[in-house]
Amino acid sequence: MAKGVCKSFGALKVLDGIDLEVTAGRTMALLGPSGCGKSTLLRVLAGFEAFDAGTVTVDGDPVTGPSPTRGMVAQSDTLFPWLTVGKNIGFGPRERGEGDAAATVSDLLGATGLSEFADTLPRHLSGGMRQRAAIAQVLANKPPLLLLDEPFGALDAQTRLRMHEWVRGLLAARPTTTVLVTHDVDEALLLGDQLGLLSARPAKIVSLRKVPFGAERGRHTLVEPAFVSLKASVLDEVLGSS
Amino acid sequence: MTDNLAGVAAPAGVVVTPVTAARRGRRQPRRLLGFIIPVLVLVAWQLAWDWQLRPRTILPSPHEVLSAADAYFFGARSEAGLSGVVYFKGAGWDHLATSITRCGEAWAIAVVVGLLLGLGLGLSPWVADLLDPFSNALRAVPLFAWLPLASVWYGINPTSGRILIFIGALWPVVVATTDGVARVPAGQIEAARMLGTPRSRLWRRVYLPSALPEIVTGLRLSLTLAWTCVIIAELGGTTTGVGAMMTSAREAGATEQIIVGIFVFALVGYAADRILRLAARPFISWSVT
Repeated sequence: MAKGVCKSFGALKVLDGIDLEVTAGRTMALLGPSGCGKSTLLRVLAGFEAFDAGTVTVDGDPVTGPSPTRGMVAQSDTLFPWLTVGKNIGFGPRERGEGDAAATVSDLLGATGLSEFADTLPRHLSGGMRQRAAIAQVLANKPPLLLLDEPFGALDAQTRLRMHEWVRGLLAARPTTTVLVTHDVDEALLLGDQLGLLSARPAKIVSLRKVPFGAERGRHTLVEPAFVSLKASVLDEVLGSS
Repeated sequence: MTDNLAGVAAPAGVVVTPVTAARRGRRQPRRLLGFIIPVLVLVAWQLAWDWQLRPRTILPSPHEVLSAADAYFFGARSEAGLSGVVYFKGAGWDHLATSITRCGEAWAIAVVVGLLLGLGLGLSPWVADLLDPFSNALRAVPLFAWLPLASVWYGINPTSGRILIFIGALWPVVVATTDGVARVPAGQIEAARMLGTPRSRLWRRVYLPSALPEIVTGLRLSLTLAWTCVIIAELGGTTTGVGAMMTSAREAGATEQIIVGIFVFALVGYAADRILRLAARPFISWSVT
């Protein structure tokens, strides 16, 4: 979906010929050192940033600006603080003229475990609950592409692990093509089906590999020898490239 | 995580922050605190009158002021019908209605113009570049500086007064709306665009609700300023209104009536602010204020 994408901010080159192809319904985890341009790449894919060269397409359609076909969740949640959780989730369908989309909202409230908080304002939720609601908010539009920009970076380690397991289950139940950028190797290996390693700035993809674990991943996976060995290998590569 | 702070039970998973809980817990005592200073002032006033710290012709007792207020609002009206005379007895409600109407009309126009101007300045760089220097320069002109010009153009009458109320009430709305809109987080705009809100609807879906707490603060300041401008608007050229009554009372040396006017301004201003806050609360309850 991305081919030869380059992006500079003035004299600062951030992306240097990014080529990226994500298998439909699978998750591509992009791992790279801090400040390498991961978030810029995701913002380009989302249509929030214009790029200087290359092409970006989703399902064959060129990306020219933000669109409900690409849902992005960032580290700080995108919930509107004046709307209840239920109305936040129903925001996208309402804006696209689908009415209150009660069935979709109810379904996603259930999937996120937030059914009893439908009428609660976001500020009354914990960080993990807000991120679940934010993911539900973008999934309500049924986007062909889900973009996750270090969505759990602000959460504590235990909550983050719970969120990894929850997202894994959610995406297994609703297969959605997903691009996740993170600097957390555990997160990348727990959530990704494919793993792309980015170089230090200007970012380019230095390696692509398949993540050899099944759909059932969780806290038990973290201690499996294959996981530990792969994590060490990935870390070597990341630290070597930074 | 479930918290139970200050006796407020939270549903499972809801985090009650210590700040929120503390605010809830302190609410009643705070209200009572507000009565302490008025009571102290009343006691000091009565003592000052008892001890004749000022001549009784210029410092009436609280009881005399209360009697004057009773006569102003509930006394039998004297309908002599003399032109240019400001009636006092029984004229309170009419004066109050006139002052509130003058203030309300000018304030309502100031709110509409202020919101439109503020949204334009906050949303459009082009409008900001065009109007910002002009509006900032106008804002710096003292309110009283407009009085001679308004009097020359429209005479000393309620129209000049309404213009002054409008000018006084306009700028808090403009500044609050401009700042509120400019401070809307970029992430909220991007989220709305990503979720399907077209640019043309952003002001209604995101800018306005997000900036509403600041706009309401501007409206409250604006309403208070508008109400304080009523006294200027009723300085001359009219025989109706609380301000006209106070001007007339000053000429007649009726200090107790002047003080009645001050209480009327204070109580109505306070009540108007409370009503505005209560009316706005459902729309801004999401923000911690």
